Amino acid sequence: MASKSISRRSFLKSTGVIAKGSFIVLTTPALLAACQRAEENLSSNDATFKTLSNIEGKELRAIAARIIPTDETPGAEEAGVIYFIDAVLSDDREDEYARVRLALREIQTTSAVKFNAAYFSDLTAPQQDEVLTEMESTSFFATVRYLTIAGMFSLPEYGGNKDKIGYQLIGFNDAHAWAPPYGFYDADYADKGE
Amino acid sequence: MAQAPFSTREQVDFVVIGSGAAGGIMAKELSSAGFSVVVLEQGPHLKAGDFKHDEWGYDHNENLAWGARQGHPQTFRKSESDVAELSPRAALGYAHNVGGSSVHFSGNFWRLREIDFIEASVKGSIAGTNFVDWPITYADIEPYYTKVDWEVGVSGLQGPWDPPRSRQYPCPPMPIKSPGVLLERAAKQLGLNPYPAPVAILSQPHNGRPGCIHCGFCNGFGCEVNAKSSSMATMMPIALATGNCELRTGCTVHRIDTDEAGNASQVIYWDEDGVEHAQMARAVVLSANGAETPRLLLLSESAQHPDGLANSSGYVGKNLMFNGYSSVAGLFDEEVNGHKSIPATRVVHDFYELSGELGFYGGGGIDSRHLSRGTPMGFALGGSHFGGPKWGSEYKRNLEREFTHSAAFDGHTTSLPLASNNVSLDPDVADKWGRPALRCTYMDHPDDIATMKFFYDKSLELMEAAGAISTTGFYPQNGQDGNVHLLGTCRMGNDPESSVVNKFNRAHDVPNLFMVDGSSMVTSGRGQPTMTIMALAFRAADNIIQAANRGEL
Repeated sequence: MASKSISRRSFLKSTGVIAKGSFIVLTTPALLAACQRAEENLSSNDATFKTLSNIEGKELRAIAARIIPTDETPGAEEAGVIYFIDAVLSDDREDEYARVRLALREIQTTSAVKFNAAYFSDLTAPQQDEVLTEMESTSFFATVRYLTIAGMFSLPEYGGNKDKIGYQLIGFNDAHAWAPPYGFYDADYADKGE
Repeated sequence: MAQAPFSTREQVDFVVIGSGAAGGIMAKELSSAGFSVVVLEQGPHLKAGDFKHDEWGYDHNENLAWGARQGHPQTFRKSESDVAELSPRAALGYAHNVGGSSVHFSGNFWRLREIDFIEASVKGSIAGTNFVDWPITYADIEPYYTKVDWEVGVSGLQGPWDPPRSRQYPCPPMPIKSPGVLLERAAKQLGLNPYPAPVAILSQPHNGRPGCIHCGFCNGFGCEVNAKSSSMATMMPIALATGNCELRTGCTVHRIDTDEAGNASQVIYWDEDGVEHAQMARAVVLSANGAETPRLLLLSESAQHPDGLANSSGYVGKNLMFNGYSSVAGLFDEEVNGHKSIPATRVVHDFYELSGELGFYGGGGIDSRHLSRGTPMGFALGGSHFGGPKWGSEYKRNLEREFTHSAAFDGHTTSLPLASNNVSLDPDVADKWGRPALRCTYMDHPDDIATMKFFYDKSLELMEAAGAISTTGFYPQNGQDGNVHLLGTCRMGNDPESSVVNKFNRAHDVPNLFMVDGSSMVTSGRGQPTMTIMALAFRAADNIIQAANRGEL
């Protein structure tokens, strides 16, 4: 049947129709100042990343770490998801990069409105979760979620999924060949001679 | 006769446009019969060693299917009264490479049955649709289905509902997977008749190719060992070995010219560097798929053919059929590991024809699959699949369990042919060559949606009978916005006023032009059209060779 990637489709749909400007109206001078500070720092880059500025990298890294957190098992941080994001936005992807920057700005704006902080990465984990929960149904969240998960589960050659950590997490062994039995039910089927 | 390579100013016997499921067979058959053949293919000649388990490359970057990123935007609308909008992903999906979509398809290979060819006269016509019988019967095509089985390579076992076959499958069925066991046991409980899925994937070595190694990356991926029976792996090597066939990759055809007598005379195309060429030929075989074939005919308009080439009927591009679908997933106690091996190992075809008493036309089949194709990135993007958060620690826990413990039962169903579902030229959007983009207009007929719902409900019943702890599912109740089955857009028929090609795929209007691909199909079948596309190609080639040998070309 059709080989569909519904998640990607919703990613593109959601990010392709982003409204101009912020979805939160900025009203207070303190918030404006916080956002402006974040904005100024967005473009500085001391070559930690190929494309992202240092602060963009720091922010996206923090977001990715909440989407796939490090708990009893490794998460986006250990898989190097941020390096995937940096790498895939490097290669002639101005449009996608612009969407990511917009998403980042909106997440920072929400952080500012809720916690009066310039940076998402300055918040505590519970505060970060609160910001992301509030934005869960937006295209901005969809954009960063998509990239985080793609970085966790795509081939390591793209920069993420270091040591195939993502694959291990879900029990996927990237072997090139298998032989039956593959699972419990077909083993049982063979045992019973069905 | 001259040997390949040929000069463009030399009149070759055939130009074949497209090297996919049908084009590969045409190239192989015509060149093996001693004719000179030039194959023009838009994409590159990727081979087994080029393919990887690369979800990001194929799904996000569209390295095989190509889209707006590669300069091939498409537009979509549900109704002719809407303005079509740019599709986020090609609505009419197909691969740009030697072998076409037969390279990255899932390999499900159902034959059509006797009923498919005569269904309109058996069931009666349906108001507002172009539902008619085919000009051929199952008996006409059966020898060619068998030719596909053996020459291309199909694994399977004759099932209780299968139409008669003149020869058994060359390869035994693929080993059953856990989703197949779950479907088989559930179906038997419900008194149904599950059986092994026929697939164009080798279960054992055949024709010099190896058997499948069960890596699990079939649907959306190219086979890394040539066990999948694509045109690239099976037909093109034979065609090229004849010395009569020249394959030109990176070549995009934009026009078929006709001479004063109204015959196709040359094919105009751009090579990889954008240089325009004109290849002269005695006859032209258009196998560009159900989207690009009508587009090229429409682009080939002229004073002689003001509505597009071979379009006196007005049917070029019309009657587009996608096939419908439904998918139901279940979570199980024990390990399923559906990500290993091929997509489908069992089918249930008890609902091939739904009873008229239900109040709508339709039918289809159900097969056992893994959820989200079984590939990690796609699976994780869709999670949590059975309720629960879409991110965070609980999401991680859910993925851990769901990936290895879920199975899907997918429905594959009929689509009715409607004039209002079609492929046309977009008046506003252009591709990288400046040609009008493909515009798709499509809305499933209410009977098609009712059929999808029937299969969704039935799959849910089966999933519950299979013992799923939790279920989820989907069918496109508001209509599909794209598909990879591109059928019916140059339908075959005996009447030149209501069809584009005759029963041997020859254009009614242009005697030396043949349209051979999914566009010829009169009705949609129940999904899995590639087997029929290939059989029609073998049949068309047989007839073309006979006609040419009689001096009729």
